[in-house]
Amino acid sequence: MASTEQLTFAIETFKRIHPVEFQRRFLSQDTRHDGRAFLQFRATHVVKGTIGTAQGSATVRIGNTTVVCGIKAEVSEPDVNTPDQGYLATNVDLSPICSANYRPGAPGDEAQVDSEHIFRLFGEVVDLKQLCIENDQAVWSLSADIVCLKSDGNVLDAAIIALMAAVEDLKLPQASLDPATGVVSADKAIETQLTLRKRLFPATFSLVDDAYLVADADDAEERLTTATLLVVLDDQGHLANVWKRGAGTIDR
Amino acid sequence: MSGAVNDRRRINGPARSVEPIYTPTVLDSVAKGRSDGRGLDHMRPIYAKAGPISDAQTTASASGSAFYEQGSIRISCAVYGPRSARKPNARRAHFVCDFQYAPFACSKRSPTQSTDEHETSLWLSNTVGPAIRLEMYPKSSIDAYVTVIESDGKMPTLAATINCISLALADAGIEMYDTVAACSMGLRDSQWIVDCTHQENAECSVLVAYMPSVDEVTGVLQTGKTTLEVHEQGVQLCTNVCVRVYAVICRALQASVE
Repeated sequence: MASTEQLTFAIETFKRIHPVEFQRRFLSQDTRHDGRAFLQFRATHVVKGTIGTAQGSATVRIGNTTVVCGIKAEVSEPDVNTPDQGYLATNVDLSPICSANYRPGAPGDEAQVDSEHIFRLFGEVVDLKQLCIENDQAVWSLSADIVCLKSDGNVLDAAIIALMAAVEDLKLPQASLDPATGVVSADKAIETQLTLRKRLFPATFSLVDDAYLVADADDAEERLTTATLLVVLDDQGHLANVWKRGAGTIDR
Repeated sequence: MSGAVNDRRRINGPARSVEPIYTPTVLDSVAKGRSDGRGLDHMRPIYAKAGPISDAQTTASASGSAFYEQGSIRISCAVYGPRSARKPNARRAHFVCDFQYAPFACSKRSPTQSTDEHETSLWLSNTVGPAIRLEMYPKSSIDAYVTVIESDGKMPTLAATINCISLALADAGIEMYDTVAACSMGLRDSQWIVDCTHQENAECSVLVAYMPSVDEVTGVLQTGKTTLEVHEQGVQLCTNVCVRVYAVICRALQASVE
């Protein structure tokens, strides 16, 4: 074995050139490379109302992963089949700014999959009937965009927490439709917030190196992950969603 | 008005949606002072941090990054490079800026934003490009990705973007002649005011990107109608303010090294 001096210098190099072995050294000793326990989550910080131009917003930090969600509200005509329901479109934006893994331009596969999953999850949270301004004529159309600013693993959890906080923060101005002109005017002085059906609490577990189940994997661990399991609980402690991705198998 | 395009890769809302008509706020004339209490030649407070993303030390992180705040303008930039380029025999590095607004960044979402983004990306590449010593990195490409998280006034946001990219490039350790500092001014009631917010809605604005150490202007942008004398006066005033912005950027770089 090399002397202690040479070994200390080589830790960063070892991490770079042989990431699997580097992680195994920790995982086999029942710990992780940042000192956490297997089922320990990183410190999470949520700040609401960070974006002034959006009607609802939140910034979430899980360790080094930073995600911003902004909700903009516009007015449109409702769908013919659901005249008293508004719209909520959720989109996740993963761009080169957070990691070199993503390409600029149109959303890639991971972003599309995450967007779709979050969209279906939040169909249970927001009651679209609350977004109605005038039945069959005008409804609020919410565009929720989740932008990842920094990625150090577990962007999906951060995205769900951010969207949850942004929806809680959302303040809709009081709107009224002028029947003569068909124009909707809104008064920012009077604002209402949505009453949500439930609150969601996500947790992601990753199967690292086909053997170790860890919670809240960071980027180094995510690269060696063969399967992930997303579990979402609601505020009553019931299971709202379970989503397993990847080819690895997870024992009970 | 939200885009009428049905994008297959995104969750779409309704095909057409508009902003409701908000009760407008009327601003007093300049003589009564600015709504946020600033002086006519005062910029909004700047917070700049170099290296928030690249410090994370993940394998796929950027070479350099910067987070820049000016009042309520928030911009994040990541620089990748120098990395191998597609044109392997180029004598100079290929510098590209990719500019995009976050969808919630502006007070109005409009479909013209995307054409705007392309034009701005090109303009940024041409404004910040001259500051970089591209001939030091043959056969490589330097990519700067900018996301505007919150915008407040189009011209000040552009100026802030230039400052942010300069900071990120310096953080990436890319050789440059000088960091580019930019600032914008708006004309209201025949007076040039520094750094107009979206609310202040100047009828005419000018933006200057300046390298103080080499005393060179890399970009001038003007919108609105004015006479040549007033324009020249604006550009001169703007260049003077750029020097103050430059000091802030340098201090942020120093802080990141300490």
